[in-house]
Amino acid sequence: MSELKRISGIPGQAGHPALCVLPEIEKEDELFEIIWTLREEGNLSLDQIVQNCTLKDCEVILTDLAKSGWIDIKGQAVELLSKGEKRARELVRRHRLSLRMFYDLFSLDGAEAEACKFEHILSPEVTDSVCTLLGHPPNSPDGKPIPRGECCAMFRQEMKPLVAPLADLVPGEQAKIVFITPGSHSRLDRLSAMGVVPGSIVKLHQKKPSYVIQLGETMIAVDKDITKEIFVKKV
Amino acid sequence: MCATTNGESEEFLRMHDHGSKDGTSNRESSLHKVLLIGNPNVGKSALFGLLTGTYVTVSNYPGTTVEVTYGNAVLNKVRTLVIDTPGVNSLVPMSEDEKVTRDMLLSDRSDVVVQVADTKNLRRGLLITLQLAEMAVPFILDLNMDDEARSRGIIIDQEKLSHLLGVEVVKTVAIRRSGIDKLLKGIQHPRPSPVEVRYDDAIEGGIRDISALLPEANIARRAIALMVLSGDESLKGWLHANLQDHIIADIEGVRQTTQTRFNNSLGYLINQRRMKKADEILAQVLSLHEAGKGSAIAFHIGKWSMHPVYGLPILFGVLYVVYQIVGVFGAGTAVNFLEKMVFGEYLNPWMTKIVHFIVPVPFLQELLIGDYGLFTMAITYAIAIVLPIVGFFFIAFSILEDSGYLPRLAVMVNKVFKIMGLNGKAVLPMILGLGCDTMATLTTRILETKKERILVTLLLALGVPCSAQLGVILGLVSGLSGLATGIWVFTLLSVMLLVGYLAAKVIPGEPSDFVLELPPIRVPQFTNILVKTLARVQWYLKEAVPLFILGTFILFVGHKVGALAYIQKITDPIVVNFLGLPSRAAEAFVIGFLRRDYGAAGLFMLAKEGLLDPIQIVVSLTVMTLFVPCIANFFMMVKERGMRTALYMAAFIFPFAFGVGGALNWTLRALQVKL
Repeated sequence: MSELKRISGIPGQAGHPALCVLPEIEKEDELFEIIWTLREEGNLSLDQIVQNCTLKDCEVILTDLAKSGWIDIKGQAVELLSKGEKRARELVRRHRLSLRMFYDLFSLDGAEAEACKFEHILSPEVTDSVCTLLGHPPNSPDGKPIPRGECCAMFRQEMKPLVAPLADLVPGEQAKIVFITPGSHSRLDRLSAMGVVPGSIVKLHQKKPSYVIQLGETMIAVDKDITKEIFVKKV
Repeated sequence: MCATTNGESEEFLRMHDHGSKDGTSNRESSLHKVLLIGNPNVGKSALFGLLTGTYVTVSNYPGTTVEVTYGNAVLNKVRTLVIDTPGVNSLVPMSEDEKVTRDMLLSDRSDVVVQVADTKNLRRGLLITLQLAEMAVPFILDLNMDDEARSRGIIIDQEKLSHLLGVEVVKTVAIRRSGIDKLLKGIQHPRPSPVEVRYDDAIEGGIRDISALLPEANIARRAIALMVLSGDESLKGWLHANLQDHIIADIEGVRQTTQTRFNNSLGYLINQRRMKKADEILAQVLSLHEAGKGSAIAFHIGKWSMHPVYGLPILFGVLYVVYQIVGVFGAGTAVNFLEKMVFGEYLNPWMTKIVHFIVPVPFLQELLIGDYGLFTMAITYAIAIVLPIVGFFFIAFSILEDSGYLPRLAVMVNKVFKIMGLNGKAVLPMILGLGCDTMATLTTRILETKKERILVTLLLALGVPCSAQLGVILGLVSGLSGLATGIWVFTLLSVMLLVGYLAAKVIPGEPSDFVLELPPIRVPQFTNILVKTLARVQWYLKEAVPLFILGTFILFVGHKVGALAYIQKITDPIVVNFLGLPSRAAEAFVIGFLRRDYGAAGLFMLAKEGLLDPIQIVVSLTVMTLFVPCIANFFMMVKERGMRTALYMAAFIFPFAFGVGGALNWTLRALQVKL
């Protein structure tokens, strides 16, 4: 992981060595991300990687990675070896967490480009802090799962997160919806049509005998299960 | 209850059929069409009533209108067909009633769409506005309930909104008739809105690919493509009617490919983007001021009515007041006055004299004024006993409906309904069943899954007494002890709970989520209560009296040819031995087939003649309540659920009702309960 240590640094300092050098590392990173994402989609093959890659020397880097023991290539089959697995996992985690952060906390659209820069400069400690700050979100804004880190396992026992399920609010409290992890697609469609989307301000009215929430002038009675899937940040 | 809605639409459909068959569809297309559309409970029906002068049920809860209603009007000197639709939160339908509305836009070209929005809830209204813009249909936006928004300190800059959307925007308060002239002016200038929502690139790609495959339609291809991408199952029928199978397969392919790019459902992502756009627009037109006091009081009443502790006493208080109005005053004072005084002292003796004078044939005399006389039995039952009871019930019920209390009950009972495989939302059709089971069966359309619709249809047919029947029952139990009433209520509730629980296990399908919008608590409007009650009484007279007459005629013929005595003889083992009732109770059950309230009225008369002891009253009431649904309800069950399901339900309910009655009879006798 020495490569990664080298590129972690403080953002914003122009000319900082960590930011302006090591393009090969970033190229490698891109390939790791592609491999991870393709594997999630169940489409992992050599051809698919090349197709999705924007780099010219894609195959060369892949061969290099195989040589140095990150990945294994047998014909079309590509496999992450254990240290490659770890690197890809952490990379994707940083990328998606960054996306989440820009999207939720700063309400930035087109966060993709920013996140791409950010993923290369987050140290493991800072990554865990961001994760905690965001309440250990399970998904990135585009809905893809964020690989779990060590901090997530300790979540709930130790740290009080900034972002919590709506069900955990005290009746009368108001909060902003940050993200929703629905149990079913139709549930999400229905709620979104009533205004329950990230960014909306929601107030928890009561928990018994049923949960009642309010958005603007709309009062909605819902099942408790649903309020567990709506994650909010207190305002 | 909203028989007008039904009749009206059927009448229209007939007219519609007629027109196209004759090839005179010109006439129809020359008719100007105005389509009312909007979120649930924003006042579309109130506006419809105002424009057409036809009353359709207006209530303060979402889902009052479940069918399209047509009405004729002359607006701006043009003969116009005004169309009221069920409320929708999105034009991608989630339930049967919402589908009806979307299909109106999809298949029926209207000249003007009027989007009715609740001013204080404009955010959600804009979600529909944006969809109308995507459809490229000419429309105007009506900000209704402007008074309520103002009292909450919400002011919308109407001109700016109009400018941003590129369509006419008017403000109205439909129930106070204000702003209607502006609305009429507005509908002369409908325009498609140029506002466009840009989606994620992958979704935009999907829209392009699907649009290329779609046929020409009443609404823009982009809008249909978005519905497809949102995974709209209800669109399948339209697609199959307009496209070849392989193209549909291609379209589905595009949808699936696009969906694989995202983990969240496309429908959600699309809505999320629309909501964002709505928020951008709203931010420019909305200003908040200090709220008035009135809304705060209503707010607290609403809050207490769903409180885990205070909620129950409030519920019992409400039930007690309803009982006082309907059971004590309606069934006691009013019935006594009408039956004993008006009919007993005057009308019936007069009628007897007149008939004896005019009709010399004894057979016909007996048909009109005998024991089973059309006047002395049918009209007396219908007008002197049932009408005052249902009349007062309708008043009490209308007040409850308009107050916004009913959906709050759903919050109280959600957990109990979960036992029956349902959720709190099902309380709405069930409570409406207390008005009329037939209309309530139609209202099951607001429920999301087929399983829920079947369950509620069954429970309505089984155990929910309709207003007429309930009224008569309240009249009967008002002469009994609280314990007797308690036993009846307890038996009924436990039977429904048990049947619901078991049926939920047997009927396949998933329960749906409990998501129910709660309307604000409002002071019921006197005129609406009055008009609604009158419309319902009129409906009752139109629907019930002919059946009462038919029932009486059947009894009369049965009595004459001796069939009645024969039926009593063969039913004696059940009615007398098993249920422990007098032989004549069989009559009540026979006419109970036609209308359950008629049957209950028969029991009412038996009790008044002192032929029933308290246990017999409780047992016969239980059987009558659980008994097969009336004919009208049965036909509605066939229409909504299909012949097979309806027959299965009837076949189950019939023996079951007698079984429960018998069990109750034997239990009470064995325990020697003193009632």
